[in-house]
Amino acid sequence: MVMRENKKILIVDDEQDILTYFEAVFQDNGFDTVSAEDGIEGFELAKSEKPDLIVLDVTMPKQSGLKTYRQYKRHPALKNIPVIIVTAVDDSFKVLLDELEELELPKGIFNKPIDPQALLKVVAGILSD
Amino acid sequence: MAEKLTTVSSPNDFLKWINPQLFAAIPLGIAVIDSDYNLVYANKAFEQLFGTWKNRKCYNVYKSKDEMCSYCESAMTFKDGVSRVNEEVGYDKNKRHINYLQHTAPIVDENGNFPYIVHIFTNITEATQIRDEHQILYDQVPCNILLIDKNFRIVKANKRLRDSLGNPEGKHCFEALKGVKHKCTECTARQTFADGQIHTGYHVWKTKTGKTLHLHVITVPLKRADGSFDLVMEMAVDVTQTLKLQDDLKFAHTYLQTIISTSMDGIFAVNEKGKVTIFNPAARKFFKIKDDQIVSREELAAMLPKGFWAKVSEQPGHVYLPETEVKTNDGETFPVRLIGNKLMADDGSIGMAFSAQDLSEIKQLEREKLEAERLAAVGHTVAGLAHGIKNLITALEGGMYMLNSGLDQESIERVQKGMEMLARNIQRISIFVKAFLSFSKGREIQAKMSNPADIAEEVVELYSVKAEELGILLKNEKIGDIPPAPIDYESMHECLTNLVGNAIDACQMSNGTACHVTVRAFEENGTIVYEVADNGCGMDYEVKKKVFTTFFTTKGLGGSGLGLLMIKKIVHEHGGSIDLKSESGKGTTFRIRLPRRRLPKVIEKEA
Repeated sequence: MVMRENKKILIVDDEQDILTYFEAVFQDNGFDTVSAEDGIEGFELAKSEKPDLIVLDVTMPKQSGLKTYRQYKRHPALKNIPVIIVTAVDDSFKVLLDELEELELPKGIFNKPIDPQALLKVVAGILSD
Repeated sequence: MAEKLTTVSSPNDFLKWINPQLFAAIPLGIAVIDSDYNLVYANKAFEQLFGTWKNRKCYNVYKSKDEMCSYCESAMTFKDGVSRVNEEVGYDKNKRHINYLQHTAPIVDENGNFPYIVHIFTNITEATQIRDEHQILYDQVPCNILLIDKNFRIVKANKRLRDSLGNPEGKHCFEALKGVKHKCTECTARQTFADGQIHTGYHVWKTKTGKTLHLHVITVPLKRADGSFDLVMEMAVDVTQTLKLQDDLKFAHTYLQTIISTSMDGIFAVNEKGKVTIFNPAARKFFKIKDDQIVSREELAAMLPKGFWAKVSEQPGHVYLPETEVKTNDGETFPVRLIGNKLMADDGSIGMAFSAQDLSEIKQLEREKLEAERLAAVGHTVAGLAHGIKNLITALEGGMYMLNSGLDQESIERVQKGMEMLARNIQRISIFVKAFLSFSKGREIQAKMSNPADIAEEVVELYSVKAEELGILLKNEKIGDIPPAPIDYESMHECLTNLVGNAIDACQMSNGTACHVTVRAFEENGTIVYEVADNGCGMDYEVKKKVFTTFFTTKGLGGSGLGLLMIKKIVHEHGGSIDLKSESGKGTTFRIRLPRRRLPKVIEKEA
């Protein structure tokens, strides 16, 4: 199997424009990207693409971010992929953390609007280990 | 045998007439018996009373007996020659029971023997009967009767009095009846003794057991033919029970009056003639009628809801309006709960009674609750708004990034993409702001009489082309008839549009089985119901929790993007409720319930 040079990032957000934005930012900085507009699609893509990092919006309507997060962390092949959660509502991540119980905490939490440089820094930090 | 009449020629001759004629003329029965009790002679009057007598014994003729009376007066007279008078009981010639006085007198011969006895009869049957009746009356009449002399001593008392107070005969009336040592100040007997007239009064007696009796008293002088009298008859009727009942009645009446007048509910009633008999202070307050003003039946009927009075007076049982309005005296309206009852007694209607409960406070509480819910929704909205705005800002920043990086990389494509993103999201901001402003305003729906089923039909029509394109089976099910109702057509249209749009989205999300969306409109138990059901992807528990609060759908085929929160607001302003049933993977059903009685008032718009 050929080792990928670029790390692959899966972005899950219900706003198409935001997906376009983040994909452009990550690609400009040497990452490959795949994107999904909701949690269901996000789960399927994670299984098929096996990304190195997932950026997950937890304030999506169609399948809640928490449920998607749980799906990742309970799946044997996916549970070790680092996840950064992104939220547009200030308190929702607190609820998420409360309800995580025994699951592993996300590697980063960002509030929209996001500073792309800060995000890149954290991503680089996670993926360089 | 009729004797020839003897004429009288001289005054001394009357003896000649007396002897033979008198015997036949006397209206008293006269008979003669011998010592063996055989009847030997009887006059005409005797025959009229006792019938045939020849060769019969006296005890047989008078009393239909076959042997001598055990206590025979005649037997004693035969022995001692003494005359006797006795009251006897026997039978007349028709075997009818009679009472008679019997004089028993001996006929004495020269030797002093009594060979014969004369019986003289006075028929006192009627007198006896009357006397017996009077005695019964005297003793048994439900009234105490006593005879009092000038010294206020009781000469005679009837049985009733003797039974209840012991025998007072011989005692002073004030002592025997009242237990006091002196005459009463208001003594009817004294008044009667003074003026010889009948007097009435009221007395209180004490029995031996200490019970108090209240009596209504009449004293009557027992006058002789010349108007003089020594005795008065006092008749005393026991009215203790009546007085007690009067007191009880008065108390019950006062008690009831107090309940009615202190009730916070309006209570009013009319009698069978239609006169307003009860109109309590609370009712006066509701209807704004002054304390001294009299209400007529017509006025009252006009203040009640149309047709209510007629309905109450027609049918037995009660008529109940849980939420209605009455017109007050000064032309305003007042919200009440109203009950009307036709009152029935054994022989027909005795009037109508009404009760009105003040709903103005409840209505105020309802308004406050609605307002609080609205504010809570706004609070949720503000949080949710932040979500939407942050996404928009991020998208705008994205557009700027694309623009700048595109210029850096000299990629026209990227620059164009960036411009698109900026333009699009700027437009979205303004739509968003407009929608939010309209949402955050207070009540603004305007209800007009509309056909509820039409709205559902139109929305389905609107989506029919799109649904067909997507291969989704969309249909409208109208179940039964729904009479027109006051609804804000546009707002309800928006609600259904949103729900159907969401349902179609849900169908799109689910892949595989043929998806359908059904819209239903029907009325059940006075509530208009809309249902939008799909068998699409459904919602899991967490989404269901948040669906009406934090989430806006900025997606979907609907317009404003405030989606479910807006629907909830509109439904609430119609006085209704919305709920959902959803199962992940199976589908979702939204149900809007609009109880008719809580629908808003129709706004009369100028043409």
